[in-house]
Amino acid sequence: MKQITIIAFIAGFAALLPLAIGENPYFIGVLISVLMMAALSSAWNILGGYAGQYSFGHAAYFGAGAYTTMILISRFNINPLVSMVAGIIVACIIALITGSIVFRLRGHYFGLASIAVAEIVRLSALNFDFTGGAQGILLSDVSLWGLDLNSKLPFYYGMLLVLVITLGITLNLRKSKTGYYLQAIREDQDAAASLGINLSFYKNKALLISAALTSVLGSLYAVYIRFIDTTAVLDLRLSIEIILTAIIGGVGTLWGPVLGAVLLVPLAEMLRSNVLGDVLVKQGIVSENSGLGVFLKENLAHAHVLVYGIITVLCILYMPKGILGLFRRKK
Amino acid sequence: MIQHLLHINHVSKHFGGNVAVSDISFSVDEKQIFGLIGPNGAGKTTLFNCISGFYPVTSGDIIFDNKTINNLRPDEVCHMGMARTWQRVKPLGSLTVLENVMIGAFSITSATREAEEIAIEQLGPVGLTDYAQKTAGSLSIGLKKKLELARVLATHPKMLLLDEICGGLNHTETETILGIIREVRNKGATIIFIEHDMKAVTAICDWIVVLNSGEKLAEGTPEEITENPEVIAAYLGGGHNA
Repeated sequence: MKQITIIAFIAGFAALLPLAIGENPYFIGVLISVLMMAALSSAWNILGGYAGQYSFGHAAYFGAGAYTTMILISRFNINPLVSMVAGIIVACIIALITGSIVFRLRGHYFGLASIAVAEIVRLSALNFDFTGGAQGILLSDVSLWGLDLNSKLPFYYGMLLVLVITLGITLNLRKSKTGYYLQAIREDQDAAASLGINLSFYKNKALLISAALTSVLGSLYAVYIRFIDTTAVLDLRLSIEIILTAIIGGVGTLWGPVLGAVLLVPLAEMLRSNVLGDVLVKQGIVSENSGLGVFLKENLAHAHVLVYGIITVLCILYMPKGILGLFRRKK
Repeated sequence: MIQHLLHINHVSKHFGGNVAVSDISFSVDEKQIFGLIGPNGAGKTTLFNCISGFYPVTSGDIIFDNKTINNLRPDEVCHMGMARTWQRVKPLGSLTVLENVMIGAFSITSATREAEEIAIEQLGPVGLTDYAQKTAGSLSIGLKKKLELARVLATHPKMLLLDEICGGLNHTETETILGIIREVRNKGATIIFIEHDMKAVTAICDWIVVLNSGEKLAEGTPEEITENPEVIAAYLGGGHNA
């Protein structure tokens, strides 16, 4: 089956999913998180997976979209879609400044610089007044085309649309000159340059595409939650979750990041809401009043970062190409 | 004045206080097969890196196709019609053989279909057609060398810089490669050839420049070079047995 058919099929399935499970806000909320992480990780994958340039600071572009949108809507009452476009522009400016300086260098400099830039953006947002400082920005009311933005559904379909667009771009890129050039850069930069590839131009191109998509997701997220602060949208933890999702699913593959998100986000959610602990107790595997039961009840909710870490270590040891890599035919 | 395709004019390259290439001058004519030989550490690959844009020269000029190319990036040099191979092969390991060659072809076309056609054309002569869908990293060293050649030929270069393209190959493989090089020249390309294998060099080159310790030791026809006492001393008597 052609990949484009698979994308259409899965998108269609996802579009009908809310009808099937009814308007349970909790489940829709989890699904929105899955779609968002799948899209974020896929956008990161264009730069990290295909061009081999690992960004550890994608939160900067997510935050740029989120903050720009929130400031424009809450202070100037600007249309959310226009604010989203403004967010893309801000994210691209940050990306261009970073890329044009750092992509001249080889090696790990881009990874290091991406963390530095993300921290600069975070600290700026924390300390400037117009970004709301440590208090963040709260959005009391927002409207677009008469949609019910108090419902989660518009955001579910918004995230789904961005995910489909991201996958479409990736698919199109893979079989194009740019996509091949990015993979050549990932494999060997000297060979790439000697075959006529302008290294910094193509790295910047990948970064811009990736940053623009990430910022759109930031804008969507901000309007969905209606509250942002630096911990929510600019934290290093977010950048790392994006990378881990891609690594565990399969870096440099079309479906790896999606698979990673489908597995990891619900897992994290289950740990966070202590579903796992409750199940263990209800099944009678662990007694609620035993030492272990009390321990699990108190601590399992905080363990999702630990579980991420363990899964990552296992992944790197036993399947360095991610879960999808296990199923790929060896040529 | 005779039209030279490439003119190396008093080129030097220093790394700190270390002189790798010192005041080298020579010219390469169109459709020539030009040999660049010398013992290990003579500066051949350094000179290649300067010509192909990977190292900036310390002094001197490199003129290709009537343009000074000293300050061009490697990709710009490639787009002017000069392509190089690497002594230590650089396959794009996780891509297929066909995709490797397509990436070369993308320097003359932006259409994927067309790049694929050009790439398939290049695989035949080097004998890689059967390996088209294998990953480049899985090939043997001999096949990787052939892949290097196919990849640069797909850029349709005016000038080819081949850095020990026959190194590590057996006699039959070397003959195949030399045959391809002759054919490429007959189609109008110019070739500079770095090689250790004196037999291969004298068999194929029209003109040879000998480097030793970063300096030009001699130049001439293969017959002149093989009879030159200084060259014989450098290769056999200087403790740098090639």
